[in-house]
Formats: sequence, C-alpha cells, structure tokens
Amino acid sequence: MEAVKEKKEATTKPKKEAIIVIKGLKKSFGKKKVLKDINLEVDRGENVVVLGKSGEGKSVTIECIVGLLTPDSGSIKVFGDEVTDMNDNQLKELRMKIGFLFQSGALFDSMTVRENLEFPLTRVLKMKNQHEIDERVNEVLDGVGLLDAVDKMPSDLSGGMRKRIGLARTLIIKPEIMLYDEPTTGLDPITSREISELILNMQKKYKTTSIIITHDMECARITSDRVVIMDDGEYIAEGTFESLQKSKNEIAREFFKDIS
Amino acid sequence: MAEQELELTGWRKWFAEVGDQCVFFTRFFRNIFKGGFEWSEFIRQCYEIGYRSMMLVGITSFIMGAVLILQLRPSLESFGQVGMLPKTLSVSLIREIGPVITALICAGKISSSIGAELGSMKVTEQIDAMEVSGANPVQYLVVTRILAVTLMVPLLTVIGDVIGLAGGFLALNIKDSVSYTLYLHKCVDSIDFSDFLPAFVKTIFFGFAIGFVGCYKGFNSNKGTESVGLAANSAVVTASLWIFVIDAIAVQVTSILFYK
Repeated sequence: MEAVKEKKEATTKPKKEAIIVIKGLKKSFGKKKVLKDINLEVDRGENVVVLGKSGEGKSVTIECIVGLLTPDSGSIKVFGDEVTDMNDNQLKELRMKIGFLFQSGALFDSMTVRENLEFPLTRVLKMKNQHEIDERVNEVLDGVGLLDAVDKMPSDLSGGMRKRIGLARTLIIKPEIMLYDEPTTGLDPITSREISELILNMQKKYKTTSIIITHDMECARITSDRVVIMDDGEYIAEGTFESLQKSKNEIAREFFKDIS
Repeated sequence: MAEQELELTGWRKWFAEVGDQCVFFTRFFRNIFKGGFEWSEFIRQCYEIGYRSMMLVGITSFIMGAVLILQLRPSLESFGQVGMLPKTLSVSLIREIGPVITALICAGKISSSIGAELGSMKVTEQIDAMEVSGANPVQYLVVTRILAVTLMVPLLTVIGDVIGLAGGFLALNIKDSVSYTLYLHKCVDSIDFSDFLPAFVKTIFFGFAIGFVGCYKGFNSNKGTESVGLAANSAVVTASLWIFVIDAIAVQVTSILFYK
C-alpha cells in the first residue's frame, strides 16, 4: 500500500530529541502477521496518536515498547537503549520511566484506591515515609479530581473513574513516557472528552512524552500533536490532525469523514 | 508461553507444558530469595487460605472420623475387637485419610480459587499492569501464595486429624460408653513417630503442589473470560492428580524408611 507522508513543517522548529525510535518492527502470532513493518519516531514532549481499526496491532506496538511482548524482528530504542536486548534489571529500570494506562484501567481489584496508588511507590520506588507517600497519593488524586475516592474499592467505581484512577496510578511514579491503550474505549462521549482533556492536562503538568492508541477521533483531536494511521500492520499516513483531515489517502479519509 | 500461540498437539503439547512448568518453578524459586519478601501479602494469604478453610476442613474431618468408626465397628465386632476401634481410627486417620482428604478439599477450594483469581487478573490485565509498573508479579502473587499454601495445608491437616478423632469419639459413644481420657489414651498410645512424621512431611508436598498448580494455571491462562473457568477447573483436576501421585510415592518412601 502506498504510504502517504504528510509531516509537519520541521524547518521552522528547533530540532527535537527522539526518545522512542522504532525501526522495521515485525510481530506475528502463530500464522497471523500483526505488525509487518512499523517505523516510528517520537520526540521528547510530543503526543503521538496512533489511529487504526480494532485488531490491527496498535496495542501490540506499545506492548513491545515496554517489553511485555518480544518482537520477531526490528529495533526499539527508548532513551537510546535497545529494548529487545535488555535483561530483567534493565527492563525494570526502563519501566520505572514509562507509564502504561491499560484499556480497562487494570486496577488491582483486591486493593482499595489508596493501596493501588501506594503499590508502585512502595514496591518500585521503595518509598517508606508514609507522609511522603500520602502526599504523592493526594497530589495525583487531586490531579484526576477524585480525592474522595481514596478509600473506595475498584468495584465501587464507574468506568470513567477507574480510568482516572488508572491514570493516577501510572502518573504517581512521575514517568517520562506515557503509553495509553485506548483510554476512552467504553465511555460515554462526555466522559471520553473529560478523559482526553485530563490526558492533555497531565501531559502539560508532568511534561511527559505520549503515545496514545485510540480509534476515538475526538480523543485524537484533543490530545494529538501528530497522528499516525495504521492499517494492515503498517503505518500508512502521518501528520497533524488538521493535515490528515485533508489527506487524499482513502483509509485516512474514512477515519476523518465524520469530522467537521 | 501464552505470547507465542504455537499450535502444538499431543506429546509435543505435553512436553511444552512440562517445559513451561519447569520455567515457572525456576522463576518461583529465584524469587523466594530475591530481596523484598512480601510479608504482608504472605500473612494475608495465610489468613485467606488457612483460616478461611478451617471450617470446611473441620466439618469434613469430623464427619470422616465419625463415619469411619461407624463403618469399622461391624467388621471389628465380628472379630470381637471393638476395643481396637480407637487405634484403627487414629492410625488410618493420621497416616492416610486425614492428609489425603484435607489435601483434596484444599485442592478443590484453594487451588481453584488461586487459579481463578490469577486467571481473572491476567484477563483484566492486572498482572501486566504490575509488570509494566516495574513491580514483580511473581514475587507478589506467586511466591506468597505458594508458600502460604505449603505452610497452611500441613497445619490444616493436623487440625483436621484432631477434629476427626473427636468425631470418632462421638460416634463411638453412640453405642458404647467410653470416657474421653480412655479414648484419648488409646488413640495417642497407638500412634508412633513413624505414623505422624511421614504423614506430616507429605502434606508439605501436597500443599506445595496445590499452590504451585493453582498459580501456574492462573498465571498462564489465556486472555479470555472462558480461560478463567478453564484455569480454575484445570487447577483442581491437576492438583488432585498430583496429590495421589505424591501419596503413592510417599507410601513407597515411608515403607523403605520406616517399615522395613
């Protein structure tokens, strides 16, 4: 399929540092080739949205970045280090710099919200001072607007609240990179918009670099600096949200046809 | 592993499963000695597994002790050996019936619940969330559960044995009138160190098998709701099978060491 490259005008902007560099990434499950040839660079502080139909392997890409899946071939460099060559300790160190928001929020359902938030602090950052832990918990809960939910169980929370708490839990270790796996899936349009705006606000507050996997166009419009469109295991179009709206690529047009 | 969905059948599948279990055992063993043992989770699991199973083990052991006396009485009566009832009960209960029945009950209750719990954590991406946060899910979820079951099953067996003897005392007093002191004296007098020790040691292996199988099945379940049920079901069946295999081996070893 012909690749359409509609990149931003780079000449007028200062050169940025690419902190995620993916080259020739391939991944198959059995006989199914999910990722055929993925190439992507994400600059520090940039929000990249990956759009694509369900089952196209969008999530597989970010799972390879954090080492949850091992690619069949290709290279993934994060902060200049090759992820596929990392041992357990190196991977653990890398993961401390990356936040991953799962589609479902993935809250630990046997723990309260407070325990969920304390988990990465006590286990990963090895924090022991309860006063400092409480401060961090309150800070992130305040950031996502759910201070009241601190002693609730995940089963008592709505879908949108779970996503917010999931976001708070990933942000509590102050990651440099955030990976969002369909953050607005299964939410009503109002809550989806709130979550998208929250992602943008948190990105500004914590100055994170983000990859957002979604097929929610409103989320893409609000959060993206750059949009990449994926089809059949490859990235077929790339550009700003506005430039892709005018794209001549058929698949890109399909995505943007209902956007005014 | 679940990541590589290879289509294996027959013996190849069986060998792959054995290989996976060996890898899982190595991961478990390595993580026992890693720093930062999860004491609070271990104690919580001991409570969940041990204390919450006590009622079930107590009731079944009590009934088992009473039923054994009622079943043995006619046979021993025909030989004029009713006085042997306490001895026969205590030896059979402590050597074989107590450990095996308690282990089978624990396989049904504990192994299935661990399989289902970890399976559902896998489905809802909680284990992945733990891993990408930089925490160690094997240390937090697997090591604590396996060690807690390994510790609790022998204790539950001892409690079950005592309650089983109490059940026998009650059943014996339906037709006869035996004082508690005499009954206890006859029971304790007939039990040797070689009756108690091998039985106690094999319950440690029963406990390990129950915990290991439950954790392995749950941790390696596929990502689908159906797989949670399959993990729980498979955990019970496999753990029960292992109990009989270990019991058969234990009988041989005990015969060689104690009853030459």
